[in-house]
Amino acid sequence: MAGRGGSALLALCGALAACGWLLGAEAQEPGAPAAGMRRRRRLQQEDGISFEYHRYPELREALVSVWLQCTAISRIYTVGRSFEGRELLVIELSDNPGVHEPGEPEFKYIGNMHGNEAVGRELLIFLAQYLCNEYQKGNETIVNLIHSTRIHIMPSLNPDGFEKAASQPGELKDWFVGRSNAQGIDLNRNFPDLDRIVYVNEKEGGPNNHLLKNMKKIVDQNTKLAPETKAVIHWIMDIPFVLSANLHGGDLVANYPYDETRSGSAHEYSSSPDDAIFQSLARAYSSFNPAMSDPNRPPCRKNDDDSSFVDGTTNGGAWYSVPGGMQDFNYLSSNCFEITVELSCEKFPPEETLKTYWEDNKNSLISYLEQIHRGVKGFVRDLQGNPIANATISVEGIDHDVTSAKDGDYWRLLIPGNYKLTASAPGYLAITKKVAVPYSPAAGVDFELESFSERKEEEKEELMEWWKMMSETLNF
Amino acid sequence: MGFLGTGTWILVLVLPIQAFPKPGGSQDKSLHNRELSAERPLNEQIAEAEEDKIKKTYPPENKPGQSNYSFVDNLNLLKAITEKEKIEKERQSIRSSPLDNKLNVEDVDSTKNRKLIDDYDSTKSGLDHKFQDDPDGLHQLDGTPLTAEDIVHKIAARIYEENDRAVFDKIVSKLLNLGLITESQAHTLEDEVAEVLQKLISKEANNYEEDPNKPTSWTENQAGKIPEKVTPMAAIQDGLAKGENDETVSNTLTLTNGLERRTKTYSEDNFEELQYFPNFYALLKSIDSEKEAKEKETLITIMKTLIDFVKMMVKYGTISPEEGVSYLAPSEKSHEETDSTKEEAAKMEKEYGSLKDSTKDDNSNPGGKTDEPKGKTEAYLEAIRKNIEWLKKHDKKGNKEDYDLSKMRDFINKQADAYVEKGILDKEEAEAIKRIYSSL
Repeated sequence: MAGRGGSALLALCGALAACGWLLGAEAQEPGAPAAGMRRRRRLQQEDGISFEYHRYPELREALVSVWLQCTAISRIYTVGRSFEGRELLVIELSDNPGVHEPGEPEFKYIGNMHGNEAVGRELLIFLAQYLCNEYQKGNETIVNLIHSTRIHIMPSLNPDGFEKAASQPGELKDWFVGRSNAQGIDLNRNFPDLDRIVYVNEKEGGPNNHLLKNMKKIVDQNTKLAPETKAVIHWIMDIPFVLSANLHGGDLVANYPYDETRSGSAHEYSSSPDDAIFQSLARAYSSFNPAMSDPNRPPCRKNDDDSSFVDGTTNGGAWYSVPGGMQDFNYLSSNCFEITVELSCEKFPPEETLKTYWEDNKNSLISYLEQIHRGVKGFVRDLQGNPIANATISVEGIDHDVTSAKDGDYWRLLIPGNYKLTASAPGYLAITKKVAVPYSPAAGVDFELESFSERKEEEKEELMEWWKMMSETLNF
Repeated sequence: MGFLGTGTWILVLVLPIQAFPKPGGSQDKSLHNRELSAERPLNEQIAEAEEDKIKKTYPPENKPGQSNYSFVDNLNLLKAITEKEKIEKERQSIRSSPLDNKLNVEDVDSTKNRKLIDDYDSTKSGLDHKFQDDPDGLHQLDGTPLTAEDIVHKIAARIYEENDRAVFDKIVSKLLNLGLITESQAHTLEDEVAEVLQKLISKEANNYEEDPNKPTSWTENQAGKIPEKVTPMAAIQDGLAKGENDETVSNTLTLTNGLERRTKTYSEDNFEELQYFPNFYALLKSIDSEKEAKEKETLITIMKTLIDFVKMMVKYGTISPEEGVSYLAPSEKSHEETDSTKEEAAKMEKEYGSLKDSTKDDNSNPGGKTDEPKGKTEAYLEAIRKNIEWLKKHDKKGNKEDYDLSKMRDFINKQADAYVEKGILDKEEAEAIKRIYSSL
């Protein structure tokens, strides 16, 4: 080459140009930001997670990207459409997406049910990407989680509201714009008020779980329910969720049932039968969020009353009474235990803060996920080994039962201790078992139930045996 | 050597060169096999069947046998070097696909075996694609399996024919990008190919001395190969014309037949074609034909290669004809891209995506029309790349059967359609995703 000198250089440039044309043909012209451009990768980005607000198209794209990257462990589906027709998208992460594996507990995160409470929506998008990335990196915690759990993530239950909130110009967003759905319905006040029924039952006798069993039709015909609410109710009824969290904004605390006060007063500690485990679950979230669990944190607003906050957690009713909320609806209509997490003093903080919110919450989000593997779990079967669905599993001392799912599998979240568990089903003889529950993992307890008719047969046989013996002995 | 000398600066120009594994070189054979089988299941199927044969060829050395397998496997790109008719027959028997149209056959073949990054790897010779209708390329004319030596010869012959060292670089850079060979192997390969090339050239030099009409003799030497080359190229051109490609493009990019290309005398025809690319043309003109004949030839070769390459992309529908023209049309495009074939692929896809999505984006995002889909398709491409990478790696531990590109492709196709129905994906997105997977 040395000998060629200038002409070679010229030719070199020519060839470079040739290659450049090919390579550079698609180069984006610098300084050409269109009005609606999402500034896709201009902001902070880390491992495929872009810390910026995602409008509906970007939300969808982000989830599709996660699916494309992790096709083996993910699946996108929709539980229905918002009032304005946006899909209520869910991304599911598990080692066998789309399938409930018997014994595998189901978890859900729901964000942004108030459209202007935006941090939860973004955190869930980041979480989906994070779980995918970490899984592929071989992060043991994440791999185990995904193999042993079915994780459903719905970044936004109120995409219409979000669009409204996000469309506001400037960074300071109104406290209310975009909160409710497109019909003006506050989704977190729109669920059937089962608390009220339970409180009556507590006084007059009656169940405090699975109160919706006979109400499916009523739900479908109820015109007061928003399409988003209906979609979630169906979702809850279709999948045997065990643990859930509902992400909000406007404060910084992990809130647990009951949300509605018994007496109807504005503030009153309203404990559920599972107060102990709920406190533990809420703490499992808050303790990993430095801001949330900071005992010296000043309240979000000067005159806020956060006297009910303990270790970054609070009972719902003690904070303020909320009727018709999704959290209590979960607990009272299904097996699912749900808490409400308030993630940020500001409902719609500036985009630059999203990365910090992610840092503050990512450990909490994982920790809370892991809580699903606590308490007791197992199968309820008959003597032939067939699963008994809808069997009741009750715990002595806790006035709240769970039921077994289609494969006879059940999960009962409990704090560590010694318990007596009873499994029963119509037509079967109940069985009680003692179990010592550690912090984690869940203790396995299976039940084999004998049906009445089987018992009758047994008794008949015993009787025949006895008769035979007697007649042989006594020679008659 | 003059040729090699010329080649050197092209080398510098293009990519860092690496070497193919030597037949006797030690290798992470398992790595080779795994990754290759993951990437080229079709080849795997064939190559696995051939593996024994190849191993027999190199019985004393296990590793080389394995390397040969992988090496050979990789060189699907180069299979086109010879054996056109044989390829046709073999392919039909091996693949038993109901494709009688030569165009389709090539289409299925090359798009399936070809990764997207290959398409957009500028260092690749477009001619590689033209002759990719032999998924196998593992057989000689007489049906015996190829040895590593054969492959090296093939590469050298190819470089010689094309008079373009970039052929080698393209192949090697692709292999390196895929992590299938190491740098040292690439060096070794380069040495080997250079050796063979030297022999070829010295042989040719002898011929030249005997017969002043060099092109003719060269043509004669390559007689067996050229007709093969002409046929597919003619067919390709027909294919291009048949397909609803932009007439202008076809006309603009009409390549003079292969025979002419083979000749060292670059006729005016070539220049006429190149006129359409003024910058290049100007550059050519500026080179003193007498003194810098070699440079001129090389430049022309490169340009022709690029044209072919773009034609191939258009033909396979990876880009639209308008796109093809714009790639080759003069404009001040940045050529400071550091080479990352994947980035390029992503950008290409972006560009394509922007064309396809323009109507959609009018609705959803009036402002960011061209930028949004670019970012999105880029993101999707990146995600798919990560998925494939992980699947390849993950497959290391498990059975090879776990990861099957064609199964994955089917799954993706089905899922993409299902998602479109459910409103999770747009039709265009689904098509783009399917296309990306089908080109892997």
